[in-house]
Amino acid sequence: MGKGFFIDLTKCTACRGCQVACKQWHKLPAEDTYNWGSYQNPADLSFITYKLVRMEEYVENGKVTDWLFFPDQCRHCIEPPCKMVGDMDDEQAILQDFDTGTVMFTGRTRNLFPDEIKGSCPYDIPRACEDTGVISKCDMCFDRVINGMLPACVLSCPTGAMHFGDLGDMKAMAEERLAEVKKIYPNAVLGDPRAVRVIYLFQTSPHRYHGAAVASLHGPKRFTRKEAFAKLFKTRRPLA
Amino acid sequence: MKLGRREFINLSATATAVTAFTGLGINLQPSTVKAQLLKIHWAKETTSICCYCSVGCGVLVHTDESGTGRCINIEGDPDHPINEGSLCAKGAALYQVVENENRLTKVMYRAPYTDKWVEAPWSWALSQIAKKVKEARDATFVEKNDQGQVVNRTDGIAHVGSAEIENEDNWFLQAMQRSMGLVYIEHQARI
Repeated sequence: MGKGFFIDLTKCTACRGCQVACKQWHKLPAEDTYNWGSYQNPADLSFITYKLVRMEEYVENGKVTDWLFFPDQCRHCIEPPCKMVGDMDDEQAILQDFDTGTVMFTGRTRNLFPDEIKGSCPYDIPRACEDTGVISKCDMCFDRVINGMLPACVLSCPTGAMHFGDLGDMKAMAEERLAEVKKIYPNAVLGDPRAVRVIYLFQTSPHRYHGAAVASLHGPKRFTRKEAFAKLFKTRRPLA
Repeated sequence: MKLGRREFINLSATATAVTAFTGLGINLQPSTVKAQLLKIHWAKETTSICCYCSVGCGVLVHTDESGTGRCINIEGDPDHPINEGSLCAKGAALYQVVENENRLTKVMYRAPYTDKWVEAPWSWALSQIAKKVKEARDATFVEKNDQGQVVNRTDGIAHVGSAEIENEDNWFLQAMQRSMGLVYIEHQARI
């Protein structure tokens, strides 16, 4: 069944420990940042930022009624559309690890078309390097995980919002916590729990968080010809 | 953790088991991901305490013993009772306290009325500071106040402490400043 995350957004305080821990472990360079009117910093994911705490003010009747925190990262889909599309051009560019379920972008992603890969992602995650054309995103700290360690972001989370473990356990934990949270937040939902390995618990409707917080928010998805072919030819991957 | 030959083979086998199934049917050609030995595998592990706030989170410092001898990774210590492995954004960036090209490693001096910084030796800088402290103290020392009470204080020097100074160092600082007659002794956390 592989590994999974459970991210409890009711416990996130947007301290950005996960965001920095990710940069630290991957030794990614700093972004050139500026004040763009939000504490969310940098403004968006990039080739050198795999994890970003998004912050959204929810305005009701001209008043800010909620400040929503959303630590965004690759969801490591169980059937990743980026891989389906990528495989049409280079089968070695995007790999999926059988044991953990990690969706991994290799250096050969330079052979792919960045816009296609980015467009195929329901969560708007992959980002390409402008110079080399290589595409990057969260790698689930694959090197740590296969050596029995927690991903850097999960280890650093001080509030206990992020959890990592076997996908089955994470799903059970998510359901249990959802029942608990519903007593306070009746609109709480889990984000695409059957399709992804990173299960978010939203305390309110996911569309208030971020445009691509859950896949279904896109409305009826229009496939490009390539994506349609990719879907048609894709193999049913045996799930452990 | 020591890694013997046997464990190394085991680990390599795990790494090569990373297989992608593509195309029609199962593609048996394994597309291996690079052998994933942790970069901190051969590193020396030292426990330490985060230098920032007073929570005192425990961290693990990984030092590359074979190569550069420099720090290669700092992360939360899962066995530490305070933080159990977690760190905030500042703590998670601790690595940069050690490894950052913007760190000052030499004394830099800017003389009055210039805009140029020049490198200076430690011995000169320390004695220069001592000289200036003595000058300021002697010039502003007050033995008695307006009412004729003995106060023995100096109003010309103020001191700002830091949360990153340890208890014992603080004792020395406090003793030194009191003996010189400072009364403006502050701490960075209150400003």
